[in-house]
Amino acid sequence: MIFDPNVILKHLPEIISGTGVTLALWIAGMLLGILIGFIVATLRRYGGRAVDLPLGFVVEVLRGTPFLIQIFLVYYGGPFVGLSLDPVPCGLLGLSVYAAAYYSEIFRAGYASVPHGHVEAGECLGLSRLQIIRRILLPEMALIVLPPSVNLAVILLKESAVLSIITVPELTTTVSAIGSQEYAFLEAIFLLAVIYWVIVEAAARLGRLAETRLSTFRFAAS
Amino acid sequence: MTLPAISVRSLVKRFGTATVLQDIDLDVPEGKVSCLIGPSGSGKSTLLRCLAFLEEASEGMITVNGEALGFFENAKGERERLPAGQIRAVRAQIGMVFQQFNLWPHMTALGNVSEALKTVHKVPKAEAEERAMVQLAKVGLANRAGHYPSQLSGGQQQRVAIARALALSPKIMLFDEPTSALDPELTGEVLNVMRELAAEGMTMVVVSHEIGFAATVGHQISFLDQGRLLFTGAPSEIFAKPRHPRLEQFLDTYLDRGASMLA
Amino acid sequence: MSFKLFSLLVQASVWTIGISAISIAIGFLIALGLSAALLSGKALYRKPAEFFISFFRGVPLLVQLLLIYNLLPFIGLNVPSIVAAIIGMSLCTAAYQAENLRGGFESVPKGLIEAADMVGFSPRQVFVRVKVPIALRLTFPALVNEAIMILKSSSLVSVVGIVEITRMAQDLASSTYMPIEIFSSAALIYLVICWAVALAGRFGERSLPGAAK
Repeated sequence: MIFDPNVILKHLPEIISGTGVTLALWIAGMLLGILIGFIVATLRRYGGRAVDLPLGFVVEVLRGTPFLIQIFLVYYGGPFVGLSLDPVPCGLLGLSVYAAAYYSEIFRAGYASVPHGHVEAGECLGLSRLQIIRRILLPEMALIVLPPSVNLAVILLKESAVLSIITVPELTTTVSAIGSQEYAFLEAIFLLAVIYWVIVEAAARLGRLAETRLSTFRFAAS
Repeated sequence: MTLPAISVRSLVKRFGTATVLQDIDLDVPEGKVSCLIGPSGSGKSTLLRCLAFLEEASEGMITVNGEALGFFENAKGERERLPAGQIRAVRAQIGMVFQQFNLWPHMTALGNVSEALKTVHKVPKAEAEERAMVQLAKVGLANRAGHYPSQLSGGQQQRVAIARALALSPKIMLFDEPTSALDPELTGEVLNVMRELAAEGMTMVVVSHEIGFAATVGHQISFLDQGRLLFTGAPSEIFAKPRHPRLEQFLDTYLDRGASMLA
Repeated sequence: MSFKLFSLLVQASVWTIGISAISIAIGFLIALGLSAALLSGKALYRKPAEFFISFFRGVPLLVQLLLIYNLLPFIGLNVPSIVAAIIGMSLCTAAYQAENLRGGFESVPKGLIEAADMVGFSPRQVFVRVKVPIALRLTFPALVNEAIMILKSSSLVSVVGIVEITRMAQDLASSTYMPIEIFSSAALIYLVICWAVALAGRFGERSLPGAAK
């Protein structure tokens, strides 16, 4: 039931390109998600109820519905409101927005974890709000925010496989196509699982390494 | 002189390479209150936990009412571990009260006090609860029997914990800083229960920072510093001169603290 | 959008809820075994459990479902696709629940175990009367979260042809040319189910014996 190595070799360029698309979509989606998520969390913190409530509702909706439904809505519903997107941009948009909802909650918890007294101390010394965010809140919450962020990054990597359903040419799409083409679907899916497994394990290890680095740095500094 | 309730001989306790208790000899007299005092990290809680067999001493012997606790010396003079059943039998004479109460959060006050009677001693439920109620009444909490720990104040939780230990009719009660986790205004109710228990002639070993309690209720006071037992004597001797310089320093710190609280 | 279309989606939600509930339940039982293996301290049990958990947490659920759907007939088990879907989801959630349970057992406060030890509980009694109830309470919120994750992930069983909410929405969208209305309605139904589970979870947490009110 193992793939003939020659078959893998023959399709290696496609497998590499599929892996590349998955990694690129994942990293871009994650970075955009972190950026939007941070902005959403900051707006919710400082924007008053008029900003907090509607943003909170959107976040809840995104977190309470399947990623696949969100993707279908954009991909199939988009053209009806003048938003005709190709699979790749549609996938990137979907992944970023989905990621942003979860990242915004992580940052919200991060903000909440910093004792209010530390902010007050900054205010008393005359720091501006932006200075307080940059110099006090962000560094203090970094250690709190990192573990769930790594977790979420791994989840996003796995969620990106869903994009194969709208024919984004990423890893799952590519490898299962090879499987059909070579009449070896089961073997192809096995190979696919192993590739994801390796990437996820590597990402998780990298994340843990970052956590250890950051925490030793923080201990050394304090 | 009757047999001591607990006797400790040449006890040593090591955690890894660190020696936290060094060559401890101590006799706990029956029917009396023995207090262990000393600065933080002096090893007094570890000593108490050794008496409860929650920590196993690295060397030395402990006997409870003449019976070896945990280890005994065999014919060749080697230290040997006793069978689990025997360890359990000796420990059954000992009740323990913890700093953090350690009440089981999923059981009511009555459940906490009656649980061991039911599961360990197979006392029928009705009788176990009746006996538990007697103990709850004794600590003044009969009207809180149906409350869960989360619904009780710290002082009340600690009194339930005392009732839980008393329900098994121990011969000796160990208290590990029973008031340290409490707000100052709640320590009184716990100390009062302990005072009553002392008046009834319960053998007690108390680790505490409450110097006042030690001085007024204690019959014997032991001072530990850096893992060594430096002084054991009556409370009156504690304030008498000449005394050990480390003890003096320790008491000064406490008296200072008391004085500054008044100022 | 007609009421009839909406009610078709609601009817399909029975499958979403049913598959999720069964998978969570089976997954919980498997997770109990896995967490026991993790905590056994014996490499002979721990290593395979760690391997299982690492695999099912490291591979996208979609890929797992495709794998099991194609693997079962290959090893001679010709089961309906619904069974394949439930097996896939159960194994996946078992891996996550096992990690939660392990965390729960490890965070039972040591003092509560010492207190039981002091009043003479046997190791077995400590386990049954103290560790299990407290670990389950500690993991309850994570279990509710996992249930919500599984409800949402169950949308993926649409790829093996089970007509739950997502598949029904797909079919309706392509036949009615009203994808926005259909997929929004599907989203709404998922939202209501997830909120209901979250609400029930919060209520359940509060009504556990001894929970802080």
